[in-house]
Amino acid sequence: MSSLSRWTSCPNSLALLSFLFCLVLPAAAGGFPASYVVDEAGIIDTAVANRLAGHLQELEQKTSAQMIVLTVSTTAGVPIEEYALEKAESWQLGLKGKDNGLLMVVAVQDRRYRIEVGYGLESIIPDSLAGSIARRYLVPRFKMGDYTTGIYESAVVIMNTIARAEGVEFTGLPALQAQPASRGKSPLGSLFPLLFLIIVVSSLVSPRSRGLLNILLLGSLLRGGGTRRSGGFGSFGGGLGGGFGGGGASGSW
Amino acid sequence: MKKNIAATVVIILVFIGFSLALFISQYNKPIRMKESVDAQWAQVENQLKRRFDLIPNLVETVKGFAAQEKEIFLGVAEARKSYFSAQGVDEKARSAGQLEGALSRLLLLQERYPELKSNENFLKLQDSLEGTENRIAVERKRYNDQVRILNTYVKTFPGKFFASWAGVGQAEYFEVPDVQQETPKVTF
Repeated sequence: MSSLSRWTSCPNSLALLSFLFCLVLPAAAGGFPASYVVDEAGIIDTAVANRLAGHLQELEQKTSAQMIVLTVSTTAGVPIEEYALEKAESWQLGLKGKDNGLLMVVAVQDRRYRIEVGYGLESIIPDSLAGSIARRYLVPRFKMGDYTTGIYESAVVIMNTIARAEGVEFTGLPALQAQPASRGKSPLGSLFPLLFLIIVVSSLVSPRSRGLLNILLLGSLLRGGGTRRSGGFGSFGGGLGGGFGGGGASGSW
Repeated sequence: MKKNIAATVVIILVFIGFSLALFISQYNKPIRMKESVDAQWAQVENQLKRRFDLIPNLVETVKGFAAQEKEIFLGVAEARKSYFSAQGVDEKARSAGQLEGALSRLLLLQERYPELKSNENFLKLQDSLEGTENRIAVERKRYNDQVRILNTYVKTFPGKFFASWAGVGQAEYFEVPDVQQETPKVTF
């Protein structure tokens, strides 16, 4: 599936939305992602995707770590490990030298996920932790068909882990943590879904939450200007190419 | 007249300087390529070593659930030993493949021991092992890419001549041995 064929097929549709997507898609296929959350498979609830993109943007501002969430319907036979590495490298996630890029890929039809961790984050998120997070927060939700929550919660746990390691505080990030697996059910555990619900609802209600489209459009405008390293915090500016060595974890549900 | 001679001399000097620079850069090229191959091989070995270090923990954990599977533990121990004594790219690649086969048999035990499958410690070790396998695959590919660049240069004109002057030969690919590609069979 080439980006060109997708690009050229777009004008056939008269809908304004698909026209907008034409502006955005070529960038998503090459170069770097249009947003922190690239939901090509369309499985994440828009409000939550916006919320998540906001968190990821804050993560980059505060720790310089670049994390992208990508959903696709299928990787077309390519092992998800190879697919994720190739994407992470072509998007040049993370800063050169710091190698602090991270890519979470979900291939819905293949029922496979991968958390690709850049060299610089491997000590914060070792493979075993990436695996535990996915098993605990992602897989159970995915099994129930709740992709939105599975992606959101596991991404939040990863962000919290990075934030704690870097000693920074986040505003409004749910307090989900990658705790070691406890045998008994913690009474606190029942609070997390409630907290999550409050946050999701508040993001739905609040008109101040950034629209995903805003981010997408701004991203493509900046790209049109040819500024790779745009200093603006408004959109994903593209990393300068952090290194990836195949660290992380993958699995199926 | 004098002006003409001076101009000719300058042109000749520039030409000589230019060809010398070209020669030096061409001469250094295969040396740099060889350096990249060696550096990349070190990366492969790092990851192989990393997998190596994971084995004792993994074996201990599995033993706690499936102590009677002596044959499988023996296979891992032997593969580990043969990796230790392997020399050179080809031999190391082969013993690494043998080790990989023995490890996948070990991991397959979880199909027969459900408690193993639900043991968080085992799952974490499995994550680490899979992560390392993936890293090895990545570094192996990068190594082979470097080898391809060098070998193409060494085999073709004019790189051939510069390479032999610089004393740089072809490098060995890290081939995935056949043993590794077959799925291990579990006998019940």
